[in-house]
Formats: sequence, C-alpha cells, structure tokens
Amino acid sequence: MEKKWFASVSMSLLLAGSVLAGCSSDNGGEGESGDSDGKTTVTLAGWGGNPTEQELLEQTLADFEEKNPDIDVKLEVIADQYMDVMKTRLIGGEGPDVFYLDAFEAPAMIESGVLEPLDNYVTEDFDVADFEEPLLDAFKQDDITYGFPKDYSTLALFYNKTMFEEAGVEVPTTWEEMMEVSKTLTKDGVYGFGVAPELARQYYVAESLGGKVVEDNQANFGADQVIEALQPVIDQHNVDKTSAQPSEVGASSGGDMFGQQRAAMVLEGNWNIPYLEETFPDLEYGTAEVPTINGEKGTMAYTVAYVMNAASEKKEASWKLIEYLTGKEGMETWTSKGYALPTRKSVAESSGFAEDELRGSLVAGAEYATVWANGSNLPIITNNFNNQFISAFLGDRPLDEALKEAEEQANSEIGSE
Amino acid sequence: MNRKYSTKMLKEAGQGYFFMSPTIFVLLLFILGPIFYAIFLSFHNVRLLGDTAFDFVGLANYERVFDDRRAGIALWNTFKYVVIVVPCQTVLAIVLAATLNAGMKGEKFFRIIYFLPTLTSSAVLTLIFMWMYNREGLVNFGLEKIGLPTYDFLGDPNVALTAIMVMNIWATAPFFMVIYLAALQDIPDSLYEAAELDGAGPIRKFWSITVPHLKPITSFVVIMGVIGTFQLFDQSYIFSGGSGGPDNSTLTVVLLIYQYAFKSMNTMGYAAAIAFVLAIVILVSTLIQRKLQKEENLY
Repeated sequence: MEKKWFASVSMSLLLAGSVLAGCSSDNGGEGESGDSDGKTTVTLAGWGGNPTEQELLEQTLADFEEKNPDIDVKLEVIADQYMDVMKTRLIGGEGPDVFYLDAFEAPAMIESGVLEPLDNYVTEDFDVADFEEPLLDAFKQDDITYGFPKDYSTLALFYNKTMFEEAGVEVPTTWEEMMEVSKTLTKDGVYGFGVAPELARQYYVAESLGGKVVEDNQANFGADQVIEALQPVIDQHNVDKTSAQPSEVGASSGGDMFGQQRAAMVLEGNWNIPYLEETFPDLEYGTAEVPTINGEKGTMAYTVAYVMNAASEKKEASWKLIEYLTGKEGMETWTSKGYALPTRKSVAESSGFAEDELRGSLVAGAEYATVWANGSNLPIITNNFNNQFISAFLGDRPLDEALKEAEEQANSEIGSE
Repeated sequence: MNRKYSTKMLKEAGQGYFFMSPTIFVLLLFILGPIFYAIFLSFHNVRLLGDTAFDFVGLANYERVFDDRRAGIALWNTFKYVVIVVPCQTVLAIVLAATLNAGMKGEKFFRIIYFLPTLTSSAVLTLIFMWMYNREGLVNFGLEKIGLPTYDFLGDPNVALTAIMVMNIWATAPFFMVIYLAALQDIPDSLYEAAELDGAGPIRKFWSITVPHLKPITSFVVIMGVIGTFQLFDQSYIFSGGSGGPDNSTLTVVLLIYQYAFKSMNTMGYAAAIAFVLAIVILVSTLIQRKLQKEENLY
C-alpha cells in the first residue's frame, strides 16, 4: 500500500513512537494551556515520512506559523498503527485537531460522524475546482466534503534498463506484451515481473473487464468477470512462472525486489523513486505507464487528505491550517521535492512533474486511475480478498473457488454488523 | 446460622480491609472492573467512534462466533498450536534440565546460554526469526546445504504457522527448564544411589525417578504452557503484519479479537464475546488437565 515508503524508516521511528505514545495522553491539557499566552495551539497528527519529507513538512508549517503569528502548530508523528491510535484517541476525546486520513479509511470515518464537514469554511480564494476531481471525491459523502487531499500517487511500471537492454526487448505497453517480455527476462533467479497479490494493487485489474469488486457496499469479487480479469495474474505466476511476490525472493516489498534486481519490472508508486535513490543509487531504471488491459488504460491512485476533528475546540485555527497546507502555496512547498505529487492542477502544472523523466508516467496516470477507496466496508472486503487470493496465487486452490468463498465470508461479516 | 460479631472482631476486620484497600482498589480498577465491563460489552452492539451507542443484543454476539468461519479457523489454528507446542516445549525443558543437572563441566555456562532466549523480548525474537526465515535467509541456507527442500516461510500458508511454533518452542522451553532445574534439586540423591545399587542405568533412572518426581511441576508447566499458547498474539501479529495471513494461516484467536476490536468499526462487542469464548476454552482445558493429573498423583 501507499504507506510502504515509510516502512524503511519505521524501525527507527518505533522508538520515537513509544515515547510519543506515552506522552499523548496529556496533549489535550497542553493544547488548552497554550491558549493562555494569546496563541492558539493546533495539533496536527500524521504518520512519519523519510527525513527529507519531514523537513519539508516542518518547513511548510514554519511558513504557516510565520503568516499566522497567533497560531502554533504542534506536530505529532504516529509511527505505527496509525488508524488504531487515531480511532482510540478520537474515542477518548483526545484526538488531534487536524490529521491525515487515507482515502481507504475515509468512508467509515465520515459515517461515524467524527469528521467536521468543511464546505462552510471554504472561501472562493481556496479554489476547490482546482483539485483533481476523483481525488477530492474520495473524501465526499452526499456532496459534503470532509477532507482536502494533500497529495497522491498512482502506480507506474518501473523497469530495469540494464536487463531490458541485455535481453533486447522493448518496454511493454499492453498486458500481453508484458507477459511475453517477462518470459524473456526470467532467468537465473530473476523474475520478469514482481507482483503484489493484494487488492490494493489489483483492484483496477479486477475491474478491467467490467466486473465490480464492490457493489452496494458489499463484496462482489466472486463475479465471473472479476475472476476472468484476475486469472492472468495467477497464470503468470503458476503457469508461466515468470512473476513472483517479494517474499518469494526474500525481499520485503516490491521496491526492494526491484532494487535487488530480482525482478525486471514492478508496478510501484511515487514513493519508490526516493526509496530507490537512497537504497539502490546505482540502479539503472525507467518508468512507463501501466500496460493497458484490453486496450484500456488503468492504474491505481492512493491519496491522503487533511481532515478536521469534529470535536475540535479550535475549528477556525484548524481550518486556517488546512487551508494553508492544501492551498496553492503550502502544497507547492510540500511537493517541491517530488516526494509527493500535488493534487491541485495549478500546482501540478507549475511543478513540471508531468515532464519529469521518472514522474511523468505517474502524473499521466492520474487521469484514468481508480482511486483506492470504495465505501465503508472496503477494509473487511480487502482483508478477505487478500487472504484467499494468496492461496490461489500460490496454486493451492483454483481462483474462482477461493474468491467465491472469500466473498461469502466478507459479506457474512458485513451482514452481521 | 446466626453468628454474632463482637465490636473487637469488627474492628479487626475493618483494620484488615483498610490495610488491604490499596490492593483491593487496584484489583477492582484494573482487573475486576474491566472483566465486568467486557461482559457488559459482549452482550451489546457497541459503537464507540462518533456518537457512542450500546444496543443490547442478548446472545447475538455469541451466536455469531459459531457462524464466523474466520473464528473457526482461528480456533483451529490456536488448537493446533497448543497441541504441538505444549508437549514439545515441556519435553524439551525436562531434557534440558536433566542434562544440566547431570553434573557436567561448564554447567553454569550452559545454563546462561540456554536461558538467553527467554530474556529476549518476543517482538525482537520474532523480527530476528523473520530474517532467518527469509526466502534466502539462514534457515533455508541450512536446509539447502543438507539437501532438504527450502520454503517461503513468511509467504506460504502451509508452513507459516509451523515456523512460529518452532520459534516459540525454542524461546519458551528454557523458561520452564529453569523451573525444572529448581525441582531437580529437591530429588534426594539417596534415591539415585539406591537405584544404582540395583543396577539401573542413566535412562532407567531418568524414567523411574526423575520423571515421576517432577510430576507436580510438570502439571504446573503444562497448565502455564496451555494458557500461554492459547493467548498467542505478538508473534503471529508481527509475522503477518497484523493480518493473520497468508491465507489466515497465522490467524490466532487473540489476533482475531484484536482485529475485531480495533480494525473493523463497531465490532467491539463481538470481540468481547470471542474473548469470553476463549476464556471458557482455556478454563475447560485446564480443568480437564487437572482432572487427568489428579488421577495418577504420585503422593
């Protein structure tokens, strides 16, 4: 998932996390006492990024504080199990004023009523129409906006230039070409294609033949069209034997597998670029748009928004913070180094990422991407899908049997709520 | 019966409770309170986030446990885990203790070495083992060297639970070994001397003297082992990243409780119900075991 990019630093943050967790209970008190000197303290919570990202965020916040001298921003980094911590704190009335929210988790959080509707705060200057629509829609329910996306990433095809040259093959543009090229590239312990057998990465593939993975907030991935669409992913692994998941080559993630040169191609997102730069600086690679399936372009988009706690006592100040962070100026600073892609069209244009050699294909995907979010039951659906899909992927049982059973289980879990 | 309390007795009792009050307070607040709250939760449909709501649903949460296929898988996984891990770690502990008690050279040194795994935190152990279980890690390297097939321990549902079992046996056996070591000191040497005069070899002595004399300790070790293994959580949580995967193969009951309590919304009541089912399972298995043990008591 899109949080993978911080997996590499999460170990070091684990320590910091335990310290933070210990302190978190008295944040509420601190926040209120901060008011006494005439300043409003707004707490902002999010998960950690790599050090450069952290610096960018701190700089954006410093700019904001300079412009709003009466507001202090207190940044809290939650290192692990972000949603668990966040839900627990919201239940306990100790939630932060502003926090990150993944589109995947958004519908359930909106339904529970803990998020503040933001439409009334929006001014014309904020220019809502500037946001990429599908990304903004992920945080809307019944036409009410509960969050503004801070950044996003799509998936693109990362390919190993050296291996492609040696094998003398072209970068594939269709899924069939990709399967063919994989056959040539698979040799000496290297797999042609590194695949992540999980719904977050396979959703657009599953829906490529018109089947729906989720229908009426219920699991529907046992539908024939979905199974037919996913069969090639299984066959490539079990029949062609030209693809592998990271753990099969002892890698921790798709990016790791690609960096260690155990896979010639992987589908990864923007987070993979800084990761490869830091961990595997000598790797010669390029990116291309995700190969088309049946002539249709498709990819995933993962997005995260800033949302406001409905129980916050400092809503005006909180909105000012969100307004700045997702506004043109704040977003420009935040996305300036290309660690995250801007969700505003105007910022995307001025940043020039569309022309960037590596990021161009990621930006191109935004147009036709499927946003990773679909109703409040997606977490349950995903969990059941992943559990059974892997058994089909490893060849333990046929795909249709596995998915039909998983669908049944998912819907029984949903039904009994 | 009509017992009368004199003022003095009441005073004494009051004094006693006064002295115990800190403990009673702590027990009420942190043990009894949460237990009763959990019982309350298990009969309700709980909504905590947003507008908190408790809807009384009677036994619905308990009925759901028996319809839930994942709960079935979790119970079965946990059962397999208990049935394999408890005997293995008990036997290993007794053998380790007996060899350490045999009066070899460097006994103290080995005692420390054997005890080290128990001192390491289970989270750290799991992370280290995950490195060793890696597709190209130490374990597979060793298997390959001696000509055995290699496995994807982390990604293959058929071996993932076994991998956790091996790790746990290795980590907990030394703890019980120490308990056995202490018990071994209590067995009088005269018994062994008498056996030697009768011509018993070391193996015969072990079976006829050591094992029967350790029976009460074994009972304790097995009960503690059963309770501990039924509550397996941290290892499978770290191993699977919280999902219980691959293919539900490392899903344990406590992990499932965690998932329902914190991962999916509004299922806190159901999670509490599973917790009580687990508590009953542990209670019953402990009672059965005590019954079996009593029937063949040494003393």
